[in-house]
Amino acid sequence: MRRKIFLAILPIVIFLLAWEVSARLEWVNPVLFPAPSAILNELVDLFQEGLPAHSILINHTLATLKRLGIGFSVGVLAGVLMGVLMGLSNPSFHFFNPLILVLMSIPGIALAPLFIIWLGFGDPTIITLGALSTFFPVVYSTTTGVRSVDRQMVRAAQIMGASRLQVITSVYIPWSAAFVFNGIKLGLARGWMTVIAVEFVAASNYGLGYMIWYATERLKADVVYAGILVMILIYFILDKLLIGNVEKKTISRWGMITQKQEE
Amino acid sequence: MDPIIQIQDLYKTFTENDKELVALDHINLDIPRNQFTVLIGPSGCGKTTLLNTIAGFEKATSGKILLDGKPILKPAPDRGYVFQDYALFPWLTVLGNITFGLTHNGWEKKGAEEKAREYIDLVHLQGFEEAYPHTLSGGMKQRVAIARALAYNPEVLLMDEPFGALDAQTRKHMQRELVKILEKEQKTVVFVTHSVIEAVFLADLVIVMTARPGKVKGMVKIDLPRKRSYVEDHYLHYREQILELLEEEVEKGFED
Amino acid sequence: MTEQKKKSISLSSKLKSSLDFLFPFLIIGIVWEILVQTGIIELRSLPAPSTLLAKFWELTFVNGILWKHLGSSLYRLATGYLLAVLIGTALGALLAQKPLLHDMFEPSLNLLMSVPTIAWIPIFLITLGLGDKTVIIAIFTSSFFAITYNTMRGIEMIDKSIVNAAHLMGLHGLNLFLEVLLPASMLSIINGLRLAIGYAWRALVGGELLAAMIEWGLGKMVYQARYFNDASVMLLGLLIIGITGFLLDKTFLTILERNTVEKWGMTAKK
Ligand SMILES: Nc1ncnc2c1ncn2[C@@H]1O[C@H](COP(=O)(O)OP(=O)(O)OP(=O)(O)O)[C@@H](O)[C@H]1O
Ligand SMILES: [Mg+2]
Repeated sequence: MRRKIFLAILPIVIFLLAWEVSARLEWVNPVLFPAPSAILNELVDLFQEGLPAHSILINHTLATLKRLGIGFSVGVLAGVLMGVLMGLSNPSFHFFNPLILVLMSIPGIALAPLFIIWLGFGDPTIITLGALSTFFPVVYSTTTGVRSVDRQMVRAAQIMGASRLQVITSVYIPWSAAFVFNGIKLGLARGWMTVIAVEFVAASNYGLGYMIWYATERLKADVVYAGILVMILIYFILDKLLIGNVEKKTISRWGMITQKQEE
Repeated sequence: MDPIIQIQDLYKTFTENDKELVALDHINLDIPRNQFTVLIGPSGCGKTTLLNTIAGFEKATSGKILLDGKPILKPAPDRGYVFQDYALFPWLTVLGNITFGLTHNGWEKKGAEEKAREYIDLVHLQGFEEAYPHTLSGGMKQRVAIARALAYNPEVLLMDEPFGALDAQTRKHMQRELVKILEKEQKTVVFVTHSVIEAVFLADLVIVMTARPGKVKGMVKIDLPRKRSYVEDHYLHYREQILELLEEEVEKGFED
Repeated sequence: MTEQKKKSISLSSKLKSSLDFLFPFLIIGIVWEILVQTGIIELRSLPAPSTLLAKFWELTFVNGILWKHLGSSLYRLATGYLLAVLIGTALGALLAQKPLLHDMFEPSLNLLMSVPTIAWIPIFLITLGLGDKTVIIAIFTSSFFAITYNTMRGIEMIDKSIVNAAHLMGLHGLNLFLEVLLPASMLSIINGLRLAIGYAWRALVGGELLAAMIEWGLGKMVYQARYFNDASVMLLGLLIIGITGFLLDKTFLTILERNTVEKWGMTAKK
């Protein structure tokens, strides 16, 4: 076990050391490849900037998280409702499925120009696109889940006296939970990516994406790397802590994760 | 005889790829009350279809089925169903699965749990109340399924090859258990099986069906005491009788 | 049933299913057209389908601009993605065979695989410039890890007795890889390829849109239309992005799947 951890960390340490050394000795252009220590420094600076009243980094991050929070919630809610509808009604499945398959192949950032025309720069566009990109994977997985419900289980509930609505709440929804979670996980990844990407082009003055893009255009590489580091960290935290925990309490306990589903 | 279920001129077709397939061909049959009726017949002859129509899962194409004189239109808790592959809810514990039928029929949660525990005792699953189904063996799962179907006290228990997925040892054991359970719980049972041995061990009445389209080929009344062994002479005699009826049909099934 | 009959049935059912697929688009198009024509909705930024069709005609057959956009996009995608497929499967196979390398790189791979595509683009814009190279490398990077990881996992999960049997028959090196390891791990590899094409598609469109020196490409087509406030070009571009992205998965991967794992009966689990 210890050996494994050592081996896992080894290449990362070597990589970071090599980077640090080559940046310091200017074997690579330190403007484009600032040393890891410089990136960490920048991260601390960004965090401290504006203290004690506020912190620039935290402000940017909170702005993005707020947009994600609203967009993600709306996307999940709409996605589950729509997915249940499409799963239960064949005509609605045949009508909406082709539309969803095509629309979900459009990356969120590509929709930004159009939505900027429609909704202008800033929150409305960013939040809408965050919601949309969460919505599609959630609908898709929920639909697949509801349509895969074991018919015998529905029948078991019916003969024990469950009404139509009760069959939906007590069979269809828990059955689909594994699929819905998978959709929500994907939706979170897509939503996070999209919110940040759309902030590149549509944010007016706040947001992690705005910060990263502003720095990219001015070739401030250390800020770019620091911003991306924060973005990745937050994504891991959201994914593992939030969704991982709910998952452990539900579908893993029910023995419903058969094979690890990949994102 | 006082039949609890009357099957009258039941006709059932399925349409698949624009082709019509007759599954049940004008069946007339009375199922006696508080007795153990076994349906046996060649594979694909419509046993499950017949059972599912009694359950209300399938609708008759024509003809009807009466339960206590009233036509069956949809699934309702005056019947219980035990599925071959258990169909337990994986997100509910053993206790949760068994209370399901009770809480959906007006029982308070507390009363339902007490009742469910009675049935957990009956099927010898004490100590597994809080276990999730995926942690149980096949035989244990089927016990939960039986307890679940009995707990809300349906008049009729429908069982579709309930022991079909179990190994030979467990299967025999479950057959004996079922007999014991039914000694305590007076019930009408309709039981589908492929096994003549199982049929003669369990049944008061065996109904042999023809190859598709399913009709009633013949009936064999089993006049044996409840406590049976697998080797008695009478027992073998009944077995022969059923096998004879069956063999003709199985051959027919292979001819077309 | 004769072969021919089977074929004609599957052909007509194919036609029927594609018509079923197009039906909702048709309905929405008609309703939308009526709404615009009757003036119930009146938006300069929401052109009618007839306007879109006219634009489509102009861009495809009059000046051919659309082909140029589509062509540049597909060229970039093919370069970056195929490079990732080649290097990714080779590296995956290598990692699967050397336990030491596996233990060293599996965790980093896992980590890198879940780095959002969009994170790479600013880094490459800074380090590689604002042109083609950046987009192609972004496509490569975002698909490479998923392909490597899934190839590695696939080969590691192969039944040991299959590998032993192959050894006994004298298969080694490249032959062993091509004739045994690759087909036996195909299910997992296709899984990786499918994930990767999605990532690559996102990286392509995002990259084209953000890289300032790029002139051609579907992403650029949509982005440039912004300066002219031309919603019809935008909608058209988006539609083509959606359809192409969808078809990439449906055609190329489905064909691969049908000719390999499905033919070999490896998909029974689904
Ligand atoms: N939902 C359905 N749609 C189309 N055909 C069906 C359907 N259900 C059953 N059938 C057909 O009806 C016939 C009877 O099926 P059924 O399942 O009742 O047979 P069975 O006697 O239970 O067979 P087994 O002993 O194999 O379980 C079969 O030919 C089957 O293919
Ligand atoms: Mg059956």
